[in-house]
Amino acid sequence: MKRIEVIAETPGSVLRHDIGIGDSVAEDDAIITIESMKMEIPIAAPVDGRVVEILVQPGDAVATGQPVAILEA
Amino acid sequence: MTFEREIAEHTHRRTKARAMGSKRKLEEFAAAGILNARQRITTLLDEGSFQEVGLFAVSERPEDADRSPGDGVVTGYGRVDGREIAIIAYDFTALGASSAPVASQKFQHIRKVSISRGIPMVVLGEAGGARIPDVMGARGIARTRSHQVYDRRRQSPWITAILGQSYGSSSWKAAMSDFVLMRKGAVLAVSSPKVTAVAISEEVDPEDLGGWRLRTETTGEVDQAYATDQEVLAAIRRFLGYMPSNANEPPPRAPVPAGSGDDMARILEIVPAQRERVYDVRKVIEAIVDKGSFFPIKERFAKVLSCGLGRIDGRVVGLIASNPIFKGGALDPQACRKATSFIVMCDSFNIPLVFLTDTPGFLVGIDGEKLGLAGQIMNFNHALEMATVPKLAVIMRKSYGQAYINMGGSADEIAAWFSADVSFMDPAAAVNVLHGIKRNDDPARFEDLREELSRNTGPYDLAAGFLAQDVIDPRETRSWLARMLAVHELRSTGGISRHNMATWPYNF
Repeated sequence: MKRIEVIAETPGSVLRHDIGIGDSVAEDDAIITIESMKMEIPIAAPVDGRVVEILVQPGDAVATGQPVAILEA
Repeated sequence: MTFEREIAEHTHRRTKARAMGSKRKLEEFAAAGILNARQRITTLLDEGSFQEVGLFAVSERPEDADRSPGDGVVTGYGRVDGREIAIIAYDFTALGASSAPVASQKFQHIRKVSISRGIPMVVLGEAGGARIPDVMGARGIARTRSHQVYDRRRQSPWITAILGQSYGSSSWKAAMSDFVLMRKGAVLAVSSPKVTAVAISEEVDPEDLGGWRLRTETTGEVDQAYATDQEVLAAIRRFLGYMPSNANEPPPRAPVPAGSGDDMARILEIVPAQRERVYDVRKVIEAIVDKGSFFPIKERFAKVLSCGLGRIDGRVVGLIASNPIFKGGALDPQACRKATSFIVMCDSFNIPLVFLTDTPGFLVGIDGEKLGLAGQIMNFNHALEMATVPKLAVIMRKSYGQAYINMGGSADEIAAWFSADVSFMDPAAAVNVLHGIKRNDDPARFEDLREELSRNTGPYDLAAGFLAQDVIDPRETRSWLARMLAVHELRSTGGISRHNMATWPYNF
């Protein structure tokens, strides 16, 4: 099992969690959604795996490159 | 029988050369499920069509002659779907396919025929770098200069697949090609991990140095990566199906598969009406193009822009679509680089461009500025202005600011969907900028101002000034594009563009 960080690719503010801790995800599934450029932008799983940590809460600001969740894959 | 001795010798020499180099390496390839150079050639080409040149070439150093069949490279001509191509396959079993003078002459011959006779060149790359001791010393290295090897004018399409460890020669060929593929597990870099480790006193992992993820996701130097040699070779055949044999031919037209256009009615379900909601534009592309004809290029690089080849009514097109599901469709410097190199390739090979636009604009900010966003936006624009293939644009939803111009605003023919929304910037953002008010400060006033700034941003405003030539129902997109491709065919030149960018670089 490898721990994989899910990284924000754009700066923005967190709108919602799309799935919860313990959920399985496939590559490209949305994990959290942020608002940026007046758009609701999903931050997606880079690989298939299971969500073990979510590191940001709705309302938080995120920067490019910031880890927002941890997957086990 | 006359010539008995000659026939025996000829047969013996031929068999020996075709058996390639190191037996141990051949066995290792087979055990790992990887094809060797000759198997790759037969897998790629139409059955029985390979015509070899240079079978009897060997190293010019007499002591290496016996273990350097072909001087480390198998070259010749063959057919793909009945069309001639020129081919270079590096043979890793012969001295690690290291570059040496006789092999270089074979490369130059194939290159020359590809250019002068107008046939695509395919390189199946895997090379240990320059051969030692052949290139050692002043004479060794200086002699590797060769005139015009780097003078490329895109007279015919060049394709390179990296199928193993690739350092030096085959990496340069990849970097000069119109389409680059890689087998996952192969490595594409300037120098081998061994040379690199010595040079910078750092142990390097080959995957970190030049693995498929780095090349397809971070640098974009490789367009597509596949799990096996067979998949890579199948993708080359597929790519060639969209390409003319050379720059003076239009791309080949194909029959329209049954069921094409059947999904057009579903387009209204794919694209959400609320402008801040995202969707995957690739579903829109798949619905518009001839069934199953979308072939993505640089699929894993700058995903915010989906680029690829496809067919509409049997005609090859280059599709450039902003993809809201990634970064909201906001274009970053990498997306501009991707667009520029794709436009250069399409224009050089007479492939019309189709834009599908839904973008909140360029992704402004420090990250983009560090990567030279302004320069990349202008390269993209410059390429668009230079392109003389037909350019058609469909404004699907948002298109704001300078990105409006880049994403089809200067096309030959523009259709706006009835959902189009065009302005200098998003009205909600404009309220912040012009009035200094955020939604939470005063929701009622914010909404009034947003309403005010949303006026004159619709499709009919665009069409009223003839800045779009039509407003269409999204379900009419395929038929509109098919009709416009027919209208805008380059009749006066037999379908050939002016190739203004034929000498532009390959990487931006």
